[in-house]
Amino acid sequence: MGITALQNGVKVLGFRAYLFRRAVSALLVLFVIISFNFAVFRLMPGDPSSLIIDPRFTPEAIALLRQQFGLDDPPFVQYVKYIKNLVTFDLGQSFTSRRPVIDELKERLPNTITLFLTSFTFTALLGIAVGVFAAARRGSFAETLVTGAGLFTYAVPTFFFQLLLLLLFGYYVPIFPIHGTISAPPPEGTWAQLLDRLHHLVLPAGSNVIIGFGSWALYTRNAMLEALSQDYIITARAKGLSERAVLYHHALRSVLPPIVTLVFLSLPGLVTGAVITETIFSWHGVGRYLVDAVLQQDYPAAQGAFYLIAIAVIVSNFLADLVYGLVDPRIRVAGENA
Amino acid sequence: MNQSITQLGTPPARRATRTRTGLLSGLVAFWAQFRRRPYGMVGLIILILYAIMALAAPWLTPYKPDEMYLADRLAAPVWARYLPRFKGAPPTLRYTIGPGQWDLTRHENASLTRATDQERGELTVVQLSPVLPGEAPATAELSFPVHYPHNPPNTFDAKITYAVEAPVDAQTTLSYSIIDPQGTEYTVWDTTVYGSSDWNTATIDSRDFQVKMKLGLSFFDDPATTVFATKGDYRLVLRVSSTAASGPVRVRLAGLQANILGLLHGLLGTDHVGSDLWTQLVYGARISLIIGILAAIAAVAIGTVIGLISGYLGGKIDEFFMRVADVFLSVPTLPILIILSAFLGKHIGNIVLLVAAFSWMTTARVVRSQTLSLKQRAFVEAARAAGAGNTYIMLTHLLPNVFPLVVANTVLMMPVAILYEAALSFLGLGDPRIPTWGRMLQNARAFGAFTELAWWWLVPPGLAITLLTLSFTLIGNAVNEVLNPRYRERT
Repeated sequence: MGITALQNGVKVLGFRAYLFRRAVSALLVLFVIISFNFAVFRLMPGDPSSLIIDPRFTPEAIALLRQQFGLDDPPFVQYVKYIKNLVTFDLGQSFTSRRPVIDELKERLPNTITLFLTSFTFTALLGIAVGVFAAARRGSFAETLVTGAGLFTYAVPTFFFQLLLLLLFGYYVPIFPIHGTISAPPPEGTWAQLLDRLHHLVLPAGSNVIIGFGSWALYTRNAMLEALSQDYIITARAKGLSERAVLYHHALRSVLPPIVTLVFLSLPGLVTGAVITETIFSWHGVGRYLVDAVLQQDYPAAQGAFYLIAIAVIVSNFLADLVYGLVDPRIRVAGENA
Repeated sequence: MNQSITQLGTPPARRATRTRTGLLSGLVAFWAQFRRRPYGMVGLIILILYAIMALAAPWLTPYKPDEMYLADRLAAPVWARYLPRFKGAPPTLRYTIGPGQWDLTRHENASLTRATDQERGELTVVQLSPVLPGEAPATAELSFPVHYPHNPPNTFDAKITYAVEAPVDAQTTLSYSIIDPQGTEYTVWDTTVYGSSDWNTATIDSRDFQVKMKLGLSFFDDPATTVFATKGDYRLVLRVSSTAASGPVRVRLAGLQANILGLLHGLLGTDHVGSDLWTQLVYGARISLIIGILAAIAAVAIGTVIGLISGYLGGKIDEFFMRVADVFLSVPTLPILIILSAFLGKHIGNIVLLVAAFSWMTTARVVRSQTLSLKQRAFVEAARAAGAGNTYIMLTHLLPNVFPLVVANTVLMMPVAILYEAALSFLGLGDPRIPTWGRMLQNARAFGAFTELAWWWLVPPGLAITLLTLSFTLIGNAVNEVLNPRYRERT
């Protein structure tokens, strides 16, 4: 494995080999996902064409689509065609909207990415900041409060917390919109529209941040406390450096690599979490599209949305692996052994 | 202090000869350590409370979770009467008015008797004498007093079962009215029977358009608020009249069932079909515990088998299983569960299997790494040298030694399984026949808990999930600390 190469001291080669392995692994997962999609959506009992072609279409349209999807071909040819279709993002036509699935997804993807990036950035920043703060004030009431809050948000199921926020700030004290990404009709002017979008973003992103920051804060706090007990910190203090300098330049810098890794490791969870967040806040995104499609038995749409989410998760995993290997070789060894 | 615990990791030569008391003392030693962990004990106490709730569900509530219209839809809890919003809201009132309970408030050529019917039990019989043509019809007015000191309800309904025994020329009229404290009479139902009629049941519901028509209300008006507008003493009145010349008329009544569905009900109110929410919460504990336990055991069993085989046999098999685990770990679990549950059908067993199928990987990894270190130990080598087969070594030498890990993993897997089930149910993909907390949350969201600000519908199931997952996590961590000393320093 790449690890052995690293342990032999050939670091660059080890990292490349590691990266190569991870890339192969990611492609393998992609392949498995595509095959899974094929199997689930084609080999289910009943007429497979009814899962791909809306039975309410006209016979001509059905014949055309049958030919396009190659439903009359032998399974292997179908499989190859299917892979080709997915790789080129030809995801078929939605039953409910009669539009190409890829167009629908394209429309929703920016919304999902907005929500995702906002939640992600603020969760990471807040989590790390609170963690450092708690470590700096070890033993104070503030620290107890922070750790307690962290544990609590860790235990509360995200969707329950989001429902509570929705009830509280959407209905009891209606200061935030209860659904959607933008008001209908949207307000006039670019700035007004931007503000409106931000207004809609507060609850979904905010709930993700509140639920998510706790575990990062706890992790940062623990890592910082460990770092603060190291010899080089004592040295730094002995040199007469200010507490600020010790905290930020010495301790935080040394714990940053594992924290960055953790941040990236949390990516896939955020991607799948989007499904529930988007459903609760009626966010016009890919995750809700998946749930709606499944509930309406709109198979091409469900398949397309799932494919897109799977790709996002694979890419996030790969990014996490990349950072994991990049920041600190020690973590890699420790992580692989754990 | 850890003597007896670490014995679990000692060569199985001793374990094989260990007696039942040995196992017992191991348990006692485990308990002695576990009980010293306050968080673990808190978790255990919460879990025991849940277990009691699950077992005692039928005794904690008189209803069934799917029993409908126990009160009006979206009724508030009984204690909400102290909130200004629900001050004076009516509770559910049900009256079954049988023979002896009616007052014959007015009668002309009529009398009231009783009879017994084999099928329908005690009957009220109104006997009307024949009248000459041109004379006023024989009439009887049966009244039942109802004290109603509440705000108007949203609905009222009634069910009248009657039969008429009369000569062919008879024309019998039955009507049902409600008379309010001011004496205004609201006739909500009437019917005319020519000659005799067999048993009939009339169902009257204030939401029906016929009732609105009878009262001269428009489609959008609400009969319940019109009729029960004032607080005070009402009368339910049943009138029977007949013009028969050739013989007496007997109208038989098999009881009248009059209901006012309340806007206050039970500990937690009702849902959108008038089912009791407290009952759903209590029965939900059963489902969640069963799902959690079954799915966790299944997942950990799969993980343990794969981890043992993978770690012990090594080589290509190990490579294969770990690749599979990698793939499963990098697949988005919730979306895949959503897709598969839609295809496999919304059955509770499918959910358990699916959750298990996508949660075995961490156990497999942990068990594998433990096995890897165990198989280097002398006792395994000794067993192999003595000619023991692979299966034998795995089952009798390795499995007992990884067992503490397995136990801790099972406990830690339960909240994961419970949360997955809750999430699936919440998204509308759960078993529709089974009341789970996730489905309660979904119903709350879909059927008006938000617009009604009914937080008592939303908060209890959510808190129930939170506390249960928290208790499993606390217990799991404590078990881990006791059984796997390796973890002790980390926390």
